[in-house]
Parts: sequence; C-alpha cells; structure tokens
Amino acid sequence: MAGKEVVLSVQDLSITYLTRRGRLQAVSHVSFDLHRGETLALIGESGCGKSTLNFGLMRLLPKNANTDTGKIVYTDRAGQKIDVLALNTRSLRKFRWSECAMVFQGAQNSLNPVIHVRDMIYDTANAHGLNNRGEVRERALELFRKVRLDPERVFNSYPHELSGGMRQRVLIALGLLLNPQVVIFDEPTTALDILTQRSILNVLRDLKEELGFSSIFISHDLAVAAEIADTVATMYAGEIVEMGPVNDIFYEPRHAYTLGLMEASPRLSVGREELDGIPGSPPDLVELPTGCKFHIRCPFAIETCKTTPPQLEQASIGHIVACYKSSEVLEKGKELRSVSSTARVARLS
Amino acid sequence: MGAIPFRRTDQPVSQPSLWSLSKRLLRAVYRSYIFRVTVQGILTLWVVTTCTFYMIRKMPNNPIEVKIDEFQTKQNLTYEEARSKVAGLFDYDPDAPFIEQYTDYMGNLVQGDLGRSITTGRTPVSQQIAKYLPWTLFAVGLGLLISFVIGMIAGAAMAYWRGTVFDNVMTAFASISYGIPDFVIAFMILLIGGIQLELFQVGDYIGSVDPEIKAGFNPEYIRSLLQHVLLPVTTYVLASVGGWMLTMKSSTISTLGEDYITVAHARGLSQRRILFGYVGRNAMLPLMTRLAISVGFVLSGSIIIEYIFIYPGLGKYLFEMTGKRDYTTIQGIFLVTSAAVVISNILADLLYGVLDPRVRVGSK
Repeated sequence: MAGKEVVLSVQDLSITYLTRRGRLQAVSHVSFDLHRGETLALIGESGCGKSTLNFGLMRLLPKNANTDTGKIVYTDRAGQKIDVLALNTRSLRKFRWSECAMVFQGAQNSLNPVIHVRDMIYDTANAHGLNNRGEVRERALELFRKVRLDPERVFNSYPHELSGGMRQRVLIALGLLLNPQVVIFDEPTTALDILTQRSILNVLRDLKEELGFSSIFISHDLAVAAEIADTVATMYAGEIVEMGPVNDIFYEPRHAYTLGLMEASPRLSVGREELDGIPGSPPDLVELPTGCKFHIRCPFAIETCKTTPPQLEQASIGHIVACYKSSEVLEKGKELRSVSSTARVARLS
Repeated sequence: MGAIPFRRTDQPVSQPSLWSLSKRLLRAVYRSYIFRVTVQGILTLWVVTTCTFYMIRKMPNNPIEVKIDEFQTKQNLTYEEARSKVAGLFDYDPDAPFIEQYTDYMGNLVQGDLGRSITTGRTPVSQQIAKYLPWTLFAVGLGLLISFVIGMIAGAAMAYWRGTVFDNVMTAFASISYGIPDFVIAFMILLIGGIQLELFQVGDYIGSVDPEIKAGFNPEYIRSLLQHVLLPVTTYVLASVGGWMLTMKSSTISTLGEDYITVAHARGLSQRRILFGYVGRNAMLPLMTRLAISVGFVLSGSIIIEYIFIYPGLGKYLFEMTGKRDYTTIQGIFLVTSAAVVISNILADLLYGVLDPRVRVGSK
C-alpha cells in the first residue's frame, strides 16, 4: 500500500468528551494514513474509541465532544487537500457524503421510517446539487442491482417493508450514491444473521474492487476484519497500539492486547474448546492509568509499563507497535499457535 | 383471504348462487375498515348515551324541583304554591319509570330526534345546539389551532436548543401554563388587565358581539367578533399551550437521538430539510392522538372560560342547562360532543396512516 497516494491522513488526533465527572479522553493522539483503495480495519473492545474516531473524521460528534489536537486531511480527486477541521458549516455539508460516506451500525434505525427509500435517495442527491431525478434514479437502481437488491421494488418501498439485511444493503447503496472516496463502515454486519453477514461481505468486496473506494472498517469480529481488511489497527483506550498489514497482525501480533483479542476469538480451524478472555475490562477513560494503559490487564507487564507509556515503533515493514515486550508477545503467539495445532493433531489421531 | 380453489378451465363453471354472492358481500363489508369503525363508534355512542341518561337522572334534584326552588326564593311562595305554579309549566313527569323514559328517548334518538328542551319552552334540542355551536367552534377552534401551532414550533425549538437560556425560560413558562387552571388565568386577565391596570374596558370584551352592529360580512362586525373572542382565545391558548410545548419538546428530543437523524447529517442534508422532513414529521406522530381528542372536545367548549367571559357557546349553555337539570338538552350536548370525539378519532387514525406509513390502515 505504501506506494499508493494517501487519500486520508489523520495526524495526532485527540478527542475528549466533557462529562460531569471530567474530561473523558475517547481518542488520544491517533495518526494513520489511508491510501487509495485500501481498507483499514479498526479492532478493539467496545468503548475503545473506534466509533468516536470515525464520527470525528466526519465531524459528526455530539456537542459535548471536543477535538483537542490533530489534523484530518482528505485529498480529493483533483489532488486538492481538504482540512476537515477547518471547514465551515456550508463546505462541511458539501464535504460529507460526497467525499466521505458512512454506513452505520444498526441499519434498522438508520433510515427515516416515514418517507420512501427513493425520497432518501433524492434528498441526498439534492443536498449535493444533483437535481436531475432521472439520472439520480438510474444511479440508485444501478447501485441497488450491485448490492443485489430488487431495484424497482426497493426504490419504491418504505424502510419498514424491508428486512434487516435489505436495509443494510440500502444503506451501502446510499453511501455509494455520490461516489465518495472514503466509506466508513461502522460494524455493518453486527445484528445480522450469519448468512446475511456473509452476503453483505461478498457485496462489499465486489463493490470495493469495482469502484475502488478506500474504507475504514470498524469491527469487533476479527474474522470479518481479517477477511475484508488490507491493514489492521488495534485500538485500546483511545490509542492505536498496533497497526500493520493484515497478515502480520493476525499471524504475528506484537502487542499483548492484539494477542489477547486473537486468543479470545473462536477459530474454526483450531480444535481448542475453551477461549481465553482478557481479564478485566477497558480502563475508565476519565481517570486513565499511568504508563501503558493496558498494563493492568497485561500478563507481560513489567515495572516500566506502569510508569512510562511505550511509544509506537517500527517492528517490521509497515508494522508499528507500542509495547515494551513486543518480542516476547511475538514468541508467545507463535508458541500458542503451535500448541493449538498440536492439540488439533492430537485430537485427530 | 381464503384460499382460491384450484379450478380447471375445461370444467363447466357453475353460476354463483345468490346466497354465496350475498355471503361474500357480507364478508367484504364485515372486513372493511369503515364498517368496523362505524359499528365501534355507534356502540361507543350508545354506551355514552345510556350512562349519561342514567347518571344525570341520579343527580340530586330534577327540573321541576329546581324551578320550585327558584319560585320559592324569588317570589317568596310556599312550597305548595310554587309547586302548583310549576305543574303546568313543564311537559315532564319525573315520576315516570326510568325504563319508560329511556325507551322513549332512545326511540326518538334512532329517528334522529334529540327531543325537546324541558325548561326552555319546548324548543328542539338540535335547534339550540345549532344556535350555540358556531360560537364555540369559532372560539375554542381558533384557540386550539393557535395553541397547537405555537406549541409545535416552540416545543421543537426548545428541544433543538435544549439546555440554553431560551429552553429554560420556555420550559418554565410551559410548566406554569400547564399548571395554572384556565379559570385562574381568565380571572387574572379580567382582574389585573381589566380592572387594576385598566388596560381595557371589560364590558367591551366580554359577551358575543356588539349588539348594535348589524350581523353580516362587513368589517365592523368582524372586528367586533374578533374583539369579543380575544379574551376567551387568549385564556385558552395560555392554559393549553404549555401542554403542547412540553409534549412536543420531549417527543422531539427523543427523535433527535435517533440514528436516522445522525445519518441525515452525515448525508449532508440541509438543516431545513432535516428539521421538517426528518425531525418534525417523526416528532409530531405521538401528538396526533392527543390532537384528535382535543379537536373532539372543542365542541363541548371550554365551559368555565365561556362562562366567565359570558361567551354564548355550547359550554356556557351546557353549564346553565345543567343548573336547570334540563335533561334532554344536557343529553343532546353530551351526545354531540361524544360523536365529535369518536369521529375525530377515526379521522386521526386515517391521518396517522398518511403521516406514518407503518400503521397505514388497510394497506396491503
């Protein structure tokens, strides 16, 4: 991915919420580059700041949220740089959806229940100056066909007349209506049954190949992330703690948290029956622990972890990690993998 | 829908009998929405009529006794003298068996006859209602319209800017409006505005219209009409707008939290489109039922407001007739009011279907 041009560049982004108890650090000092056609998966537990980060990228945060530091820069098709945080209301409105669209989790509730699907399409197009209904309709029907919906019927339906999977497809089509460069998928397959999940993922992969948009894909389902992503970033307590190419992350995790996530997910290919969860829960984001934020739950933690936060460092090509014990984690991961495959062999024989 | 029996085309098709045709017709009628709500409505009205019929006759006193009392106090007569004087006055026998009175009344009612007033010279009740109804429709209808529109807009605005000074001030106002009864507001307007501060001449604003102006479509008459309706309408609006504001505020707040509003912002829609097409339309839905009920109750007027401002509407009339125990008139006004509530509820159902496709009546 390194050779391709950068579409979205996030630098040192921090977002806090003002709460009654104080400032809640939801995202802290996050930086990454998204290249053309690349899919970046964000993984991590609930409450790790994944959704906040993405809402921040579109400036859709609630009023009590504040973007303290950082820069979000999109590069549009003409090569023009857009500093999102500096946009005024009017240009922000134009920027949204035409440059960066978002497919939300919970498709059940993302469509206005009292108007037709077609009116939501026309509304969206209208807001961006596309007033030719015939053209918009053609574009929408084509997208509906691509996401494998019955175009005419869905176009003239009300949201409640569609199933959950169909609504999610409508949302995906709606997201692609203006041909955006970046599409954010916020857990698009949660709350769907496994077969519908599968077909949505297939649709997404085909669309990506065909239309070439870049995407950020939030998921806590590692299997889904592994399948769709080119790059994976692990988030913990608002920070990116590890980021790298998908195979590196899944086969050679170097951060204790990433390894913990792997061990907590079921794998069909492995015969182990018990899954190891990560003890404890993510820290209180108002009163963050000192040092590495993961040290309380970390089996590898040493004294330094409690006092000095580790910095992100290059581990291999395109793979960065913020962990003092990354080489031990890597070894442990390899060991676990060999144990589990031995166990499988033992069971089979 | 019953299963359609499979029929081969080469077999002779038997002519459907008259019986099966009429059966099918009956079934279609039974299934139709209009038929169901009509039957429900008629049943409701029957129950209401029967209950009021019974209850107003169980109130202490009857028309005759009330009149006897009046003669006794006003003309200083003995009970016996007053009684003989009243005897020839009314065509009503309070000692007739209840069931007989009921069947008589219902018999007339099914023929569309509301009966004749007992105490006001046997004028037909329908004629009396027709005389007072327009005043009420005008005053309370106007009040409801104004209060609903203001309530919607203010409530939505309060939700939109919630937590600001504007919201706090408006919420305080709404709570006060919601809490103070209408008659207190009416008295406050009269006493403070009219008498203490002498902002207006009370006499010019109460009653119906200036009797010296000829009725008709001319500017003076309309001006007089509006002048006299001003205080009742203001009172009604002040007393009811708070309820609308608070309901609309909470409904709007919950709508603003819906995902589709965030998605609409993400799609870059204009504020106006989001406010009207997305927030407003959804937030208004829960208020439609309330509106329907209020519209129904417009007919019974706002008894106390009309009474205080001596406004000649149905409410004031109902109050007077209740004092006189004019059974047939009370009965008639109640019937018309409940019919209005029933009908406006049906209309609300249909309207709700237009606004919310999820509950569209009779949709496939």
